[in-house]
Amino acid sequence: MSKRTALAIATLVAAASALTGCTGGVAPSASGDSNTITYLIAQPDVPENLEKMRQEIAGFEQSSGITVQLDVLPREQLHTVLQTQLRSGSGPDVFSYDTGPGFAGVLADAGLLHDLTDAYAQNDWQIYDWARERVTFDGKVLGVPDQVETLGIFYNKELFAQHGITEPANLAELDAAAAKLKAAGVIPIAFGDQEGWQGGHLLSMGLASRIGSQGMTDLVEGRVPWSSPEVVATISTFFDEFNRKGYLPESATAIGYDNANALFYSGQAAMNATGSWLVSDIINAADFEVGFIPFPGPDSRGIYAGGLGAGTFVSATTPAPDAAVRFLDWLQSPEHAVFDVTELQSIPAFPVDTSGVDAGPLFTQVLEQTSKMSSGSGDFGLNIDVLTTNQFNEAMEGGLQSVLTGDRSPQEVADALQAAFEQSTGS
Amino acid sequence: MSTATATRSVLAQTRREQGRLGVLLVAPALALFGVFFLFPLASAVFFALTSWNGSTPTAPFVGLANVREMLGDPAVWHALGNNLQWVLVGTAAPLLIGLLLAVLIWSGVRGVLAYRLIFFLPFLMPPIAIGIVWGWIYDPVNGWANRLLEAVGLGELARGWLGETGTALWAVLLAAVWSYTGFVVVIFLAALQNVDLELVDAARIDGANAVQRLWHVILPQIVPTFITVTTVTLVGGFSVFDIVFIMTGGGPGNATAVLGTYAYENAFNFSRVGYGTALALLITVLSLPFVVALNRVQRRLALRGMGGGAP
Repeated sequence: MSKRTALAIATLVAAASALTGCTGGVAPSASGDSNTITYLIAQPDVPENLEKMRQEIAGFEQSSGITVQLDVLPREQLHTVLQTQLRSGSGPDVFSYDTGPGFAGVLADAGLLHDLTDAYAQNDWQIYDWARERVTFDGKVLGVPDQVETLGIFYNKELFAQHGITEPANLAELDAAAAKLKAAGVIPIAFGDQEGWQGGHLLSMGLASRIGSQGMTDLVEGRVPWSSPEVVATISTFFDEFNRKGYLPESATAIGYDNANALFYSGQAAMNATGSWLVSDIINAADFEVGFIPFPGPDSRGIYAGGLGAGTFVSATTPAPDAAVRFLDWLQSPEHAVFDVTELQSIPAFPVDTSGVDAGPLFTQVLEQTSKMSSGSGDFGLNIDVLTTNQFNEAMEGGLQSVLTGDRSPQEVADALQAAFEQSTGS
Repeated sequence: MSTATATRSVLAQTRREQGRLGVLLVAPALALFGVFFLFPLASAVFFALTSWNGSTPTAPFVGLANVREMLGDPAVWHALGNNLQWVLVGTAAPLLIGLLLAVLIWSGVRGVLAYRLIFFLPFLMPPIAIGIVWGWIYDPVNGWANRLLEAVGLGELARGWLGETGTALWAVLLAAVWSYTGFVVVIFLAALQNVDLELVDAARIDGANAVQRLWHVILPQIVPTFITVTTVTLVGGFSVFDIVFIMTGGGPGNATAVLGTYAYENAFNFSRVGYGTALALLITVLSLPFVVALNRVQRRLALRGMGGGAP
């Protein structure tokens, strides 16, 4: 064999090795130290909460000898940036991320999450069973759920009183209240759907009250098609009818989540349809009394939609898995859980003694609801997007935006939801 | 050994040494070309022929299935339509505005340096920052765009620019044109320094007006620069991603989706790295004919001796 031939073969082998090497997972994580972990969370809605968290984590660092580098990303960038970071091997060791197949499930499918099944057994973590299911993929528990939440309508009690409006007991009353507010120059419902996920939450609220918890379970589990008349009616009511009647801000698809909230805080809008995670922000930003009600059903006061929000996950490539697990264990300590509840108004997914907590009327109401939901004693609808796949969520979010912009009808979007559901579940 | 033979031997040795030196000199560039261009390209082609999901150790080979899927995927055609609009307007607008501004500045305005800085500044801003800032400008609640319209009595035109199907793509495109025009201005200004002023003066004396001087005297002297800028802008139109991703994420619905955002969505949101890579390659394949054609035009013009010199 001539030198030239040998060189050519060596080059080919190197190229082939490099090509196949490209398919072999991701590089080690950022910190590179077994006693230091990077912890990424979404930017808290209330900026002061970040400093509180830093101080709380400093206590853990002192007692454990583990260094925790806390990083934040704007909430809307967390899904896109984190996934890319993890795939390129430069992601954090521990991070907060939404649960369910459409979010953490995508990371699980890509092999980006550390298996915590053994850690659960060794540390006897008391996460609610229903919550643990949301972070279990292919029989492996891959995260620690840490945010129980409900979805409903926050309303400005002062504006309601000023315009002689009481809590709506059904959809017709909500319609009447919204018409009254609009006539008075108040935006009835602060709703911005620029990011798209807000539409999914609103559909969850509407469906919860229209078809009940069992009806939603049937939808999510494929026993009832998404193209059914109830889904079409729910989409039609809020995304078409309410929008055309001017109950939502103009160009809702151009308004981001934060700006929609700002409309509510400033008193320009009387209601805000979103989740209980906003309580902390509301307490800080609203200088009026706020009530929290479920999205009304056609003939009833309705029920709250609810479920699990975010969870905490560990990168599959972390060089510090033991330190990460110790950190997760501390996050579930009773002391830290009380800190979460009292300081951040965040509700963990395991039993917490809140008997001595001075939470204020709004958060007390939310605590009672989530307590009922967690123990299985109340009737709650489901939050769709944490239970469905990414393909379905994309179809839902884009589809509902299209109804708001008038490009597609509720029936077309409902049909698209069913098609996406069938495609993503292979049914 | 005769003198002639000795000379030939020395010449041959010199040629060999020159050859070796040539290889040595070219080797670093070749290595960089191989590592940063050929290898990624080969990887992309490889993955485009697979159904890899981004995590499995092996990438199942599917041949041309991704290409067949692309051809029948309505979302691809929709995104391609948006790309074509972007290419047409996103290329023509910065070129025309940039050329006019450059000629105006070049023709004797005071404070050329200040103008250069002002126009070039947006090009130095990262697309993420541009996207965020223009997102604020377009915000229907607090944005300047609507407030400005209301202030000048055009309040009925106020709308959610990024939230309506009919305006979203154009609103993003306007932000991109704003950021890119400064680059075109600076490049054209550099080229205009090489324009023969005697020819311009002669044309003026012969009675040519400003437009005629621009079209018949100035433009022919900067054609190579014009083509270079056109090529860069045009390719940018096919590969546009960041500013669309930041400002609208492809929405509302999929109104502003371009091939870049659709490729990202497939590769990262749906874990369809193979299909996403095939879409990314489609962007390259679509750009290539334009680049080759413009390159040929530029070479032909150079042979004819046209142009005051590329920057």
